[in-house]
Amino acid sequence: MFRSTGLIARHSMALVFRERTVSFLTVLFMALVLVSAYLGWSATTTVNAIYQSAAAFLTSTHQPIPPNPVLNTSPLSLLRNMSTYVSLIGSLASIVIGFQLVAMDRKGGVVPLIGVRPMAGNAYALGKVFALVALVLGLVGAAACVSVMTFQILPEFRLDGTGWRHLTLFFGTSALYMGLFGLMGLASGAYAKSETVSLLIPVTLWLTVTFIFPQLTSNIHPTAALNPVKALVDPPHSSFFTYAELVLGPVSLADAYKVLSARLLEFLPPGHVIRSVVSPATTLVMATVFSIGLAIVSLRKMDMTKGDYDA
Amino acid sequence: MLKRSSPIWIIATKDVADAMQDRFIIVVTAFLVAAALTALVTGAVALATDVMTYNDARTTLLALGKSADAIAAPEFYPLRLLRGAVEQTEIIGAVIAILVGYRAAASERGRKTLALIMTRPIQNRQFMVGKALGGLMLLAGGLAIVFVLTAITLQVVSGVGLTLTDLGRIAIIWASSVVYAYSFFLLSFMLAFWLKKLPTALLLSFSIWLLVVLVAPQIGDTLDPDNQVAGGVFKQLHILKTDQIRIMRGYASFETIREGIEAASLTKRFERLSFAVLGIKDTYVGKPLASVLKEKQGDALWLVLVVFVLQALLFSRPIDLNRLTQE
Repeated sequence: MFRSTGLIARHSMALVFRERTVSFLTVLFMALVLVSAYLGWSATTTVNAIYQSAAAFLTSTHQPIPPNPVLNTSPLSLLRNMSTYVSLIGSLASIVIGFQLVAMDRKGGVVPLIGVRPMAGNAYALGKVFALVALVLGLVGAAACVSVMTFQILPEFRLDGTGWRHLTLFFGTSALYMGLFGLMGLASGAYAKSETVSLLIPVTLWLTVTFIFPQLTSNIHPTAALNPVKALVDPPHSSFFTYAELVLGPVSLADAYKVLSARLLEFLPPGHVIRSVVSPATTLVMATVFSIGLAIVSLRKMDMTKGDYDA
Repeated sequence: MLKRSSPIWIIATKDVADAMQDRFIIVVTAFLVAAALTALVTGAVALATDVMTYNDARTTLLALGKSADAIAAPEFYPLRLLRGAVEQTEIIGAVIAILVGYRAAASERGRKTLALIMTRPIQNRQFMVGKALGGLMLLAGGLAIVFVLTAITLQVVSGVGLTLTDLGRIAIIWASSVVYAYSFFLLSFMLAFWLKKLPTALLLSFSIWLLVVLVAPQIGDTLDPDNQVAGGVFKQLHILKTDQIRIMRGYASFETIREGIEAASLTKRFERLSFAVLGIKDTYVGKPLASVLKEKQGDALWLVLVVFVLQALLFSRPIDLNRLTQE
């Protein structure tokens, strides 16, 4: 079984690398990783420069000078925009990778051929899941390399041991978040009869958790949800939002990822309260376990005699 | 005026009938309605919380024999509650338009009905105009349902009757959202007829959507120094608005780049127009509609211009229906 699983995983990865859409989204994701590092650096230096101008102005008007807000921020917060890009382009790229891993076989007409081979029941499903995990880890690993290089290039942003540990955990969390959307793409690619529908199901779920749930749990408008700082504003003190977070917290994946990233990249505002019945980390782990199960069940139930989509 | 027997009208109405029959447009419109109403209701709950907090603070101050003037009463403008609904339309409305455009092309390519259509006495251009008209009708109808239901809910949750001017403002936003969504329809429709592989067209459309709708506004928003510090950098430094403007004069080129990135996004243009017309942005509260429209005509023109360019592109490159029927 292990041999078949490995073979399917390796072959699937080789095929995905040939897909232009996957390459395009990967390049886009990497470009945005670079943009996020630039934005963090640019915004931080601009705020610092504004502080210097404001301090000069306050001195000239004999007013007290408050502390520089930049000094209160961790060097890790330089990468705060990365969490937004992971939840936008990273998730979408993972959905496409997950979908393509199955769609290529279905459209290529190889599913019936695989179906007649002597293979253990779970080998195909596990091979696809392993391929997805390897591809997502590769994508996140490349993003991590860019971030590490950013910290090497900018000497004013030095990380200590805790900083490096937090950065590693942040990329681990990002891999988990992207992976679970990839698994949804994998499950949907295997389950749906239509190719378009198989892409739409995970995209709709992604839209719901990214833009609708944060509105219900924290009154975060869709555009504010894109700003890593604004997205962490406390919800109004109303029982509606308290109960909404309590109930939706365990499935509000974007909220969970947003809080975890902010905590790991050290820009979570002090006193930020989480009302969900389960912790953000548990939410992501539970969702990943569920998505793995869903992907394996969908792949195992896929009609191996037909394969191709209806339209 | 199109005749009922005109090929353009027949193709347009057939696409509308198809979308209604397989309930596609009903499902996606229901999703946008749910998103818009969620935004409206949560906005109303947040406002009600602000009012309650103000009333409690006012009662406490009066009980202590102090003046209630020290605290500012929350301002209530019903149309402001539409902010979330407008933002959901920006994002989900554009996705729906991409799907409608993709389906308009994919339905013919996937079902191999292009060959059949080619046997009929119909010009290439008539076919394309019919498809585009069908998409426009679907988007206009779907968004009309969204805005009508949102206006009714707004009336119910706010408890304030909407005036004719308010309804006129909502109608303007509906018209702008139709133009905005139609540009995404044209984009995916065009790509789905140009590119060899249909899913590639859909993914490319989504990637452009991601850049135009989410990434460009996000970069502009993030580069705003006031968004980099929780609560705002100037608020933390206790600097008044007039002094902020004076300090920011020293960062004119930075602001020009930031503004340029934001203004390049069609979504931001639609948002600026909508927020001004609905009075969501403070500076436009209480301003007569005519003066708001005059000030925001640049954003409105930008929306129309994008549609014009995309339509010109669509018709400038004749679609090789023969090639597509062979695939």
